[in-house]
Amino acid sequence: MGEALEKFVEHAQGLYANFESVTLFSIGGWNISQYTLYMFIAFALVLLVVLIGARKLEFIPHKKFTAALEYGYDFISNSVGADVIGEGYKKHIPFLASLFFFILIANVVGLIPGAKAATGTISITWALALVSFIYFNFYGFKQLGFFKYMKSFAPHGIPAPMIPIIWFLEFVSMVIRVLTLAVRLYGNMLAGHMILAVFSLATTIFLQTAIFSGDLLVGLPSIAWFFLLFFMYALETLVAFLQAYVFTILSSSYIGMAIHPH
Amino acid sequence: MIEMSIALAALKVVGYGLAAIGPGIGIGIATYGLCVSAARQPEMKGQLMGYFFIGAAMSEALALLGLVLFFIG
Repeated sequence: MGEALEKFVEHAQGLYANFESVTLFSIGGWNISQYTLYMFIAFALVLLVVLIGARKLEFIPHKKFTAALEYGYDFISNSVGADVIGEGYKKHIPFLASLFFFILIANVVGLIPGAKAATGTISITWALALVSFIYFNFYGFKQLGFFKYMKSFAPHGIPAPMIPIIWFLEFVSMVIRVLTLAVRLYGNMLAGHMILAVFSLATTIFLQTAIFSGDLLVGLPSIAWFFLLFFMYALETLVAFLQAYVFTILSSSYIGMAIHPH
Repeated sequence: MIEMSIALAALKVVGYGLAAIGPGIGIGIATYGLCVSAARQPEMKGQLMGYFFIGAAMSEALALLGLVLFFIG
């Protein structure tokens, strides 16, 4: 038992190295890492899903796949857009739906054993967060004008000497949104996959030690590890949906705050 | 020197743990408020979800800053 534990601790230390970006191949000076490859796979899958779903559009969809896709789009439109953005939400739904479906498919692709989630690296989530950040600031400027948008960070009805301090704090918290959007998605995906890796490593090592040493008692904990792995996998499936939803709903609430200042 | 680097790595983990306490309590309180108010007025749930996510995101930001410090610190 002690031998297995020692081996487990030793292997677990080098686990993070599996999650670092490695250059797989280069095309014309562009280095493609495994995460970039999975990003392109997720792009292709999103395109495929939308093209298949929208091949024959009807007023009442008869195909199950199209109906499921329209349910997803309606979900973004009604429970994310209409409730969170409020007035004038229709214009932003295509952007939010693309974000949602890309992140969802990238997360779900990462759940396949052996595959990597494209959202499990900071570079890609950083890019997604920056797109969302530029988008809501652009619409804030467009809706209100530069000075009025800048002024809208400080809420109304606070004493005049407090306005610069509150404005500064609100401005910092606005700029930090790009960081939190990126790190939330990255941290959740990386931590989830790390936990799955730790549990599957434990299952393997305890089983291996039991087989090699011929002591079946050592193999018993691997059953418990396997059930933990199973439940964590179920939880990760939930997290894959939840993080896509949270990213979308936060983007939409930032858009709503930018175009309807209080 | 090896002890120093181990101590630094351990302190990073402890620091992230400390950074996660406050946001954990905060998100718990926010979820409690959402559940209670949605049970009282189910028709307000959609609007409340928006406020809940903004509040949860704000308190979660602190834990995420702790995570960033874990990587860069």
